[in-house]
Amino acid sequence: MAHTLIIATRIMKQLRRNKRLFALTCIAPLIIVYFLKLFMDTFPSNFPVSRYLIPVSGLIVFFFSFLLCTISLVQERAAGTLERMFINGINRIEIIVGYIVGYLILITLISCVVLSETLLLFDLNYNAQIIISLFGVFWLLSIVSVMLGIFISTFARDESHIFPFIPLIILPSVFLSGLLVDVTLLPTGIQALSKCIPLYYANTIILEIINPAGLLSNVWQSIGVLIAFALILPFIASYTLQEVEN
Amino acid sequence: MLAIEIKNLKKNYGKTEALRDITLNVPVGGIYGLLGANGAGKTTTIKALVGTLRPSSGSVKTLGLDPLKKKKTVMRQIGYMPQTSALYEDLSARENIIFFGQLQNTSHLNDKVKHLLEFTELTNRADDPVHMLSGGMKKRVSLACALIHQPKLLLLDEPTAAVDVPLRAKIWQLFRELTTEGITIFVSTHLMDEALLCDHLAIMRKGELLTVDTPEKIMEKGKTHLKITTNTSVVEKIVAGHPQDLADALKEFGLSSAIKSIAIKRDSLDTIIFDLIKKDR
Repeated sequence: MAHTLIIATRIMKQLRRNKRLFALTCIAPLIIVYFLKLFMDTFPSNFPVSRYLIPVSGLIVFFFSFLLCTISLVQERAAGTLERMFINGINRIEIIVGYIVGYLILITLISCVVLSETLLLFDLNYNAQIIISLFGVFWLLSIVSVMLGIFISTFARDESHIFPFIPLIILPSVFLSGLLVDVTLLPTGIQALSKCIPLYYANTIILEIINPAGLLSNVWQSIGVLIAFALILPFIASYTLQEVEN
Repeated sequence: MLAIEIKNLKKNYGKTEALRDITLNVPVGGIYGLLGANGAGKTTTIKALVGTLRPSSGSVKTLGLDPLKKKKTVMRQIGYMPQTSALYEDLSARENIIFFGQLQNTSHLNDKVKHLLEFTELTNRADDPVHMLSGGMKKRVSLACALIHQPKLLLLDEPTAAVDVPLRAKIWQLFRELTTEGITIFVSTHLMDEALLCDHLAIMRKGELLTVDTPEKIMEKGKTHLKITTNTSVVEKIVAGHPQDLADALKEFGLSSAIKSIAIKRDSLDTIIFDLIKKDR
């Protein structure tokens, strides 16, 4: 536990020092949400903007949290600090949990910033309960993306190895998660694949939350699966993060 | 007790034999050098000693313990300085040292950090981010990180690679000071002049140990080239490297007053190693 907090504190200190990265991580999603606004403004007035808007904002949170965490952990490996932590007696679980705690503040901030801008720019008048629920989903999704980032980073020795994974993770999430089209319209085999994508469950929950007649109790299974992703991915990552070279 | 005990160590990466049956005993105290060209197997050996590499066969004991089975105990007693600086560039030198000290649950951490910053002459730059420091300074920060928990054994993987000559001398002076505090240093290098600064030397080539001895004994394996000039002739002779061999060789000349000068050219360590390699072939 003590080691986890030491690692988390160090990550937060690094993020505070790296003002450029910190600013970009917060400002870049804001710019993209603004572009989304410009894009959506071209749609006819009867187009159900919110059906796509909130899920796309969720994707933005997912993408940035994933990218940030993956690259940071790969940098640790390339710089040799990951090996140095292992040689100082730290185990992989302590490192993974340290990363999650370390990035918690940043991903909370990204979730807040993206959701707030989306609500303000598009003048969406949801009540407090809906806003809190949406924030909860964004936050959970960003935690899953940090876990996924840790998992993917175990397959890369340096930053260049990460790039092939970005389209491999993000694009299926765009096309198969129900973000653009209803998953039930996809071929049966692909529907099964959709159910392996965390964003599919986040979209299902988001659409239920913004549906005036929707109830969270209708999507408890999706909430459960999203939480399960957040809990299971670090364990899988801990098996792939090698302490000893074989 | 031995600081390091390696028995029949082998490491294969697929068909590539990175280490071929290495056996080496390193006594406690002093500086033990591991000399070899790039790809000789130095880093692989050190990684096996710090427990980040599983040998294909053979055994490794670091301070009497298997680093894979008794990881926590071994890690508390060893300091490791990798080839790269392996530091957090956004953090300051002080913060890096504190971080690695905290991971080792080091007591009186602030006092030790202060002492190490003085020891490595980094006090004036202690609070600058590491990315603003020169390569040599980064090496010294990395050394301080390896020393913060007062290890008994220090494993250094090419610690002065890409460091200029004056700074290299300074770093080696630090190593020598550390041995006076009872720390055993196991250091890999590909630089011949550095090898001569070690108390013991193991020479590696393509995953094998060529020879193990003191640098002086290894130097004696070299030949002495004599060029003796008399009033009437010039005689060139090659004798073994030991001073006694040289005296014997000169006896036949009676050291006559006619001998005007004796020029001696000894093999360099490089030549000796090349000869060892040739013999090995």
